[in-house]
Order: sequence, then structure tokens, then C-alpha cells
Amino acid sequence: MKKRGKGIGATFYGTGYGNGFPDVSNCEVELNCQGKIVVYTGATEVGQGAKTVLSQIAAEVMGVDLDSIVLVCEDTCCTPDAGTAAASRQTYNTGNGVRLACIKLKEMIKKVEENHKRVKGLPDEILTMKEIYEASRAQAIILKARDSFTACTSTMDEENGQGSPYWPYTFSCYAVEVEVDTETGRIEVLNAYCAQDVGKAINPVLIEGQIEGGFAMGMSWTLYEDLNLNQGIIKNNNFSKYIIPTSMDMPDICSIIVEDEESTGPYGAKGIGEPVMLAAMPAILNAIHDAVGIRVTKLPASPDYIVKKIQELDKSNLIERK
Amino acid sequence: MTKNLNTIGKSEKRVDAKDKVMGKALYPGDIYMDNMVYGYTVRSTIPCGEIRVDKSQAQKHPGVLYIFTADDIIGNNHHGVIIKDQEVFCKKKVRRIGEPIAFVVARSYEAAKEAAKMISIEFKEFTGVFDPREAMKDDASKVHKGKDNLIFHYKLRDGNIEEGFMNSDIIVENNYETSMVEHSFLQPEAGVAYVDEKGSVNLIVATQYPHYDREEIAQALNLPQESIRIITSAVGGAFGGREDITLQIHLALASYKLKRPVKTIYSREESFIAHSKRHPFYMHYKTGAKKDGTLMAMEAEIIGDAGAHASWAINILRKAGVHATGPYLIPNVKVDCYAVYTNNPYTGAMRGFGAAQVPMAYEQQIDEIANRLNINPIDFRLKNCFRIGSKTATGQIIEGSIPLGKLIKIAAEKIGYNISTGVSI
Repeated sequence: MKKRGKGIGATFYGTGYGNGFPDVSNCEVELNCQGKIVVYTGATEVGQGAKTVLSQIAAEVMGVDLDSIVLVCEDTCCTPDAGTAAASRQTYNTGNGVRLACIKLKEMIKKVEENHKRVKGLPDEILTMKEIYEASRAQAIILKARDSFTACTSTMDEENGQGSPYWPYTFSCYAVEVEVDTETGRIEVLNAYCAQDVGKAINPVLIEGQIEGGFAMGMSWTLYEDLNLNQGIIKNNNFSKYIIPTSMDMPDICSIIVEDEESTGPYGAKGIGEPVMLAAMPAILNAIHDAVGIRVTKLPASPDYIVKKIQELDKSNLIERK
Repeated sequence: MTKNLNTIGKSEKRVDAKDKVMGKALYPGDIYMDNMVYGYTVRSTIPCGEIRVDKSQAQKHPGVLYIFTADDIIGNNHHGVIIKDQEVFCKKKVRRIGEPIAFVVARSYEAAKEAAKMISIEFKEFTGVFDPREAMKDDASKVHKGKDNLIFHYKLRDGNIEEGFMNSDIIVENNYETSMVEHSFLQPEAGVAYVDEKGSVNLIVATQYPHYDREEIAQALNLPQESIRIITSAVGGAFGGREDITLQIHLALASYKLKRPVKTIYSREESFIAHSKRHPFYMHYKTGAKKDGTLMAMEAEIIGDAGAHASWAINILRKAGVHATGPYLIPNVKVDCYAVYTNNPYTGAMRGFGAAQVPMAYEQQIDEIANRLNINPIDFRLKNCFRIGSKTATGQIIEGSIPLGKLIKIAAEKIGYNISTGVSI
């Protein structure tokens, strides 16, 4: 028999290294001879969209088109340390670093521009970035600024764990509907509604991509993935044996981006890279319970496991009735 | 603040999209250099034991340039993000399957692989420990010689736990186990190292943290950091699996010694045993509430399997403890988290980092209590969830952006739950 159920999962996630660990992102930014803004920062693009988001932040502060930003993040020779691409910290932490460095550069540019206009006696002249660069050469000023951002975190007490380890926290609440085949134990996720706190969406489509990928990862962990680990040996060591979902396994995912600006974030943004995978698992597990009355207490919720749990439940119900 | 924005809030095309779609993005596996040679890693095939390595026969293979082992490390043979408990090459003891023992560099990848088979490794196998609950016991065999298997214990105490349960009308108690999983990024590890005209070691690699890689390479090669340059290639997914060192030091060392570009690419099977996994958690949860749906107390014991190396275990189990209550106000809390060495594959950073495992327990506990009290699970959550000015179990007052109540209402409405009471958020 096929039975359907609904479930919900609400989660929170403290972004950043946490527990007082110095969480620093450095950034350098300069105006080059072509009139482009070159941003140097060691934040790795791992597919999460760091390059795009950091470029958007720089473009916004500088008041230029996205095409006028050159973001260099790939080389330890010329990029200052921006920490690891982890802890959902690049948009928030390095985003703030980029923003602060750009604010400094903008001030420098303003001074060069004013100086130039004063000397030329042309107060209403509008200069292009390329002309500003040339003016800075004439004034013997190097238009390069550097700044850094450090996240707010404190060390917790060793005895009672009290303290303020992370900031900010990102929240999620995902709801799903599942269908459980009680004969085979196969579970299909039919619908998913993912309400995601983002602070401020710097790039909505990139966030939707993260939500869909995060949901897939959470669902995969819950239902499919099994290393078949025994005595330290991973038996399922490739993708013919280690099962992850294909697009055919995925439900339609409805992403709901909820904006509630975080005052310490760049333009109000928070990190979302990890938060987007947290709520899928509990939502699915609660939906399974709603459908067939079993509590999944061991992952993965594989067909074998589900069938066994349903049989156990039937047996105990039978005993109760007697 | 967000008025009149030009680009923020717009779904701009990814700046790296075109190169990736057109196949132009350069991944380390795509790189070819003149005079380049190839490396292959020889790894432990047992989870616990001692080794004796004889490379003399393999060294005679006509394609082989050199075989690197622990004896060739000039600087520090140990690395690790927090605790330096991973060896660049195992010297005597092996603690897990997949630990690197040697790096064979040859004129072709095939020759390197062939020569690797000619290395004689005498394995003396010991009984390992594979369950962290067993490994915590005093009489368990030690994964690292002279070191306790218990890496870390995080204690969280808030309120009075006994009173909290005493004042609860209902108590739900359960065990939960999460599984060890793989990051499943698309691009297996690969890299190319070369020495430039200034004598600096350059490494092109897909990594999450180039500056950390540089530091570890500098220490292993006993070189100043200025002599090491990491060039981050395009990265085919990471999810935490590229935070620890895998091939970085091997490649840097080989190119530095041989003064030739050295490349390696892991197969999928090798990638599975080369990088970290997600910590499996063994969780015991006890949650108490009043009949009216007020959460009163929560006690949790969480044991995380770190496998053979600590990696981020301390930070992950700490994060698990901080997030153990879920986003709910619970006045009386007692949490104990343990990170424990075993001879399993090592675990480390993975998307969610300890805060991903605990929702299995806390969210099912919440649901179960709501069920037994016959309260709508949405109302129950709305009644207890964090809001502006809430105090977390670690005593942190959260002010600012806390839209959880709104999220719960939206998700519930979309899936078709009725919210029966008018709980204000």
C-alpha cells in the first residue's frame, strides 16, 4: 500500500568559525589603468557563487557595472588571506571585507577627483574611471585600499559551555510530502517547500540553486547514501554502489527566500551555504512518521530499514490488540 | 539601506558560468606541462597495524624517477587543521585504510601504478577499534600511541536539569544514529606542482583554503611560506572535503626534489578513501515538556566518530553541542558531546558541520512530544521557537534578524498544515 504523509523541519545554524577563533577576511582593491576595479581576496569559488556575489558587492559600493569588476581570488601570491571557503562565511565575512575595502577606495577616488576638478577649474566635469586613474597618476597617488573584517565570536566557558560562539544565525524551515510504499519500503519525496532565511538575497537565483542542491544533499543522506562501512573498510567506494539521487528522484522544490536584513551583514546578507541542507532530513523523517507511524532512528532510511520498522510496528500493534 | 540598489538583489549571471558551460574552466586534471611526470599514491590496506616498506625493487622500474616515503620528508611529517595527527607518509604505524605510505613518481601514470605494485610492504595487523562507544572505554586499544582516544568533550549546562524533568508532564527519550557519508563532489582530487625560475614551488590545485595549504607545505618542506605559491584552479565542488590536505604536500615535495612538473589525479575509488567523511553521531536524547506544550528540559549525549584523525572533530562536536537544542527555548539543558578516535576512515568538515546531524534527534523529539500531547506540530514549534531577544542554551541573547516564526508559518501554509492557534511571533 502507498501511504502519504507530511512533515516539517526547523533548524538554525551559527555561521563562521565560532568559539572565539579569529575569523578574518582580508581584501585589497585597486583601480587599474583600464578603469576597472580589481578586487584581490583569497576566497575560493567552490561552486557556491563567491566570485559572483563578491563582485556584486564591489560593484554596488563602487557604483559601477558588474563588468567593471575584476575579482582575483586564485593565487596566494597576490591575494590576501580570506580564510577558508567553509562555515558559510564567504558572503558574510569576505563580503564585509570587500565592502569595507571598497568604501576606502571610493573615498580615495573622491579625493583624487575633487583635486583634479579644482586644479582644472572644471567643477562640473564628470570623470570616467579611466580618467580618474590618469588623474591619480598625475597626482602621484596609488589608488589601492586594503581592509579586513573580523566576525563577532567569543570563546565559551570550558565548564558549562556558556558564551556567544557564533554570529549571525541563519534559520530554515522546510516542509515535505512523502509517499511510502509499505510493501517495498521505497520512499518518494513528492513535494518540498523550503522557506529559507537569507538576511538579504544578494543574488536570488544563486540562492535558489543552493537551496535545491542543499535539499538534494540532505535527502540523499536521509534516504540513499550508504558507504557499507565494516571494520574500517568502505565497500561502496564509487557511484555505481554509492547511490546519490538523479534528477529523476528529485521532487519539485519550491524555494521561498525570506528576507530579513542582518544589520552586520553586507547589505544585510547572511551565509546560507550550509543552512540550506539542514532541514531536509528532519522534514522527511517527520513526514515518514506521519505516513506510516514509524520513527527512523538510524540512517539511511533505506527500503530494507523501512520495511523492517513497519513490520515491527505491525507486530507490536497486534500484541496490543490481543 | 537597501534602497536604490543597482546589482545587489539581482540574479546576475555567474561570472564563472560561461567558462564552465563552454568547457574552458581549467580544472587541475586538464593541465599539461612540458617535461611533466606523474605521481601515484601507495596507501595502507589495513585499518590498524605496523608497516615495513622496502622500495628497492620498485625503484628499479625503468619508468620510475623516484619513490617518496617518510624518510624523504625534510621538515614536519605531520599535518592537520587543528591537531597535527596526520602523517604525510606513514613511518611505522597505520591507523586507517587509505593512509598514504609512499608516492611513486614515474614518466607515465601507468608506470607509476605498475611500480607501486612492486613496493614490498610488510603489514603487521593489530585489532582495531571501530565503534567510538567502545573506543571511549579505558581498556580500548589506542588509535594513536600514547594518546587517549577521547579527543574532546564539550559540556553545556544551563538551568537545573533534574528540576526541569521533574516539572515536565511528558518525557520522550530515544536513541538516534546518523551515518558516515561522502561529500560526493564531482571532481576527484587532482593537482600539478612545478618549480618556477625563482625556485619557488608552485601548486595548481582545487582547494577550499589555499593559504592553509601553503602553510602545511612550507612546514613539510621546511621552506618559508614565500617560496610556496598556491594557484587555485576551478574547483568541482568541495562541501568540506577539500579542507584537509590530501595530495598537496606529495606533489610539492616531488616537484621540489625532482625539479620537474609533477601531476596526479585520483580515481573515484581513491578519492573515497583519501579525503574525510561526515562524522557519524550516536545520540541519546531526553526531552521534557508541560501538557500545555511548554518545553521544560533537554538532555543529550552525543558521540561523534572522528575516525583515525582529529581533523575538525573538536569544532564539529562543539558545534553539535551548541545546536543540540534546535532553535527552541528550553530553560534546563544538559549536553555532553564527545569526539573519539577509531580506526575508521577519518571524518572532518562536511556541509552542516555537526549542526547537520543533531536535527535528526531534536526535530523528531519535538514532533513526538507534539504527537503525544496531541498538539499541532506547527503550533508547538511556534510556541517554543527562538524569536528576537531569545536566550540560547549557551546564554547568547539573539537580537537582529531572527525570522524563524515567519519561516515556520510559510512552510506550514505551503504544505497545507492548519495553524490552529493564534500564537504571535
